[in-house]
Amino acid sequence: MFEKIKLEDLSKENILAYGEFYKGELNSSSLEILSPLKEIAQTLNKKLILVSLIGSLENIKDWEEIKKSLADEVWFVINEELKDFREDLYTEVLVKIVKFSQPYGFFFPATKIGMSLAPRVAGALQVGLCAHVNNLEVKDNQIIMARPTYGENIIAKLISKSIPIMATISLGAFGIKYGEKEPSIKEIIFPEDFVWKSKLKIRRFAPSKKKPTKLSTAKVIVAGGRGLKNKETFQKLFELANLLGAEVGATRPVCYEGWVEEERMIGISGVTVRPKVYIGFGISGALQHTVGMENSEFIIAVNTDKEAPLVKIANLALIGDAGKILELLLKNLSK
Amino acid sequence: MEKIIVCIKGVPKPGSIKVDPETHTLKRENMELILNPNDRPALEMALRLKNTYNTEVVVISMGPPNVIPLLKYIYALGADQIILLSDRAFAGSDTLATSYVLAKAIEKLSPFSLVLMGLKSIDGETAQVPPETASLLGIPSLTNVKDLFMERGKWIAIREMDYGEEEIEVTPPIVASVSPLAFDYIRPPSLKRLLEVKTKEPLICQVKDLNLDPQRLGLQGSPTQVIEVFEKKIETKGLVLEGSPEELVEKLIEILKDKGLIKF
Repeated sequence: MFEKIKLEDLSKENILAYGEFYKGELNSSSLEILSPLKEIAQTLNKKLILVSLIGSLENIKDWEEIKKSLADEVWFVINEELKDFREDLYTEVLVKIVKFSQPYGFFFPATKIGMSLAPRVAGALQVGLCAHVNNLEVKDNQIIMARPTYGENIIAKLISKSIPIMATISLGAFGIKYGEKEPSIKEIIFPEDFVWKSKLKIRRFAPSKKKPTKLSTAKVIVAGGRGLKNKETFQKLFELANLLGAEVGATRPVCYEGWVEEERMIGISGVTVRPKVYIGFGISGALQHTVGMENSEFIIAVNTDKEAPLVKIANLALIGDAGKILELLLKNLSK
Repeated sequence: MEKIIVCIKGVPKPGSIKVDPETHTLKRENMELILNPNDRPALEMALRLKNTYNTEVVVISMGPPNVIPLLKYIYALGADQIILLSDRAFAGSDTLATSYVLAKAIEKLSPFSLVLMGLKSIDGETAQVPPETASLLGIPSLTNVKDLFMERGKWIAIREMDYGEEEIEVTPPIVASVSPLAFDYIRPPSLKRLLEVKTKEPLICQVKDLNLDPQRLGLQGSPTQVIEVFEKKIETKGLVLEGSPEELVEKLIEILKDKGLIKF
């Protein structure tokens, strides 16, 4: 169907991006990470290659997305044993590709799969791996990666001294862009004696009953933090979201408190969002959270503390008890 | 069943973080440390498995001597053995160097059936150490594990994926990181053990005890390096309003109408 290529014939010193397929679907986060990587690749005069492991070609549902992507090339490894994600086998396959193609960089989206797989690959290659990078730049021919760190309002810039430079990239940190030229698609042929074996056996898969949240693409977000004081008040955000056509977001502490599922977490450990309107109720705005929402078009903060960081970055800040204001708002809106 | 090893981390108490301006790493020496909250579910899982399968639980931590009180607390929770991996040469280790030290220590504790860790620490937040350690040990790893039990000599794990839940069968030994939301109840320390622990000290292991390659430790053994840390400065940019809840809500509704989110 397309060009088949042996491991030893793979082109070298490229930038690789992991293209996460799950049950035939390409995770959009893999397209997101191509946006900053394309710029990096162009600056360094290297090719950008999306690497995907799949069970069979028939299952692929996103050909259009792949063809429109920013990648210069797409490399597939196709084998029945790759139909489910199993980190030991996936690692071996990727390590082989790295050993033969000697990439300059290898980047993964910070999905659950990406965060399980990248550390195994980095460990096997004994190279460095940066986590949750949300900014990349090239300076003096060196890739510099930035991420908020130490759980507080500190940003760290990192380099990696080993090759390939590796990192997982924060979800939603970059928007998807499309390329002008269709990438050339290749299938990597593995040697006959490669053992397609995993110690993991998937016995059962139960797809999420809940629909995945649409946080990262939501136009309006109402988010809540500890200032809402309890789960009951937090839950009222869902009523407001309904009235405004919004999605509900949350800070890390309230997710850990169990007020809401972790997939609604906005920030460095969660999702990055950029809605037209963001309303934060009882959120003080630790960097952990604000890096995930600071690019929102219009930010409204409701908080008792005038000095709270979120109040400072907000376009409009209302100083008062977030729970009371939320309740009163709902009352007035449902009149 | 062979023993279960749990790796835990002392993390700076939120708010007490200081960065060394020269090395750009955390100053851990005089920092008040707490047990990484995400390690609690991992410990709980280990202790429940200990009850079910009557096996030994060994807890190890890599860190400065001020992790000792945390290890003693964990002994009081029900761990059988506590070990501190502590050496000046470890300072500044990134996830690769950390995973190397842990892997070597775990290897020394062989045979084992399971290594449990928290999903991620609340300071570094990389979530990389569990899979990276497994990779160095050459054994399987699973992340975000909610439940784990044994069936005919194999581990059966329930893990959370972005797409749903998987039930996986795997031959021991493995490394698993435990979902922070795995348990509704986490046990407090036992009174008897709290008394016992007063005289209990962890075994302390240094570089020489673990047969480590000095090239792979600390800053020197860490390919990723922080070249700059800066605090994000923020200045007030918008309108800040004070007033009664009624006035504030009125203003909020006005803005929401203006943005086209509500129509009256």
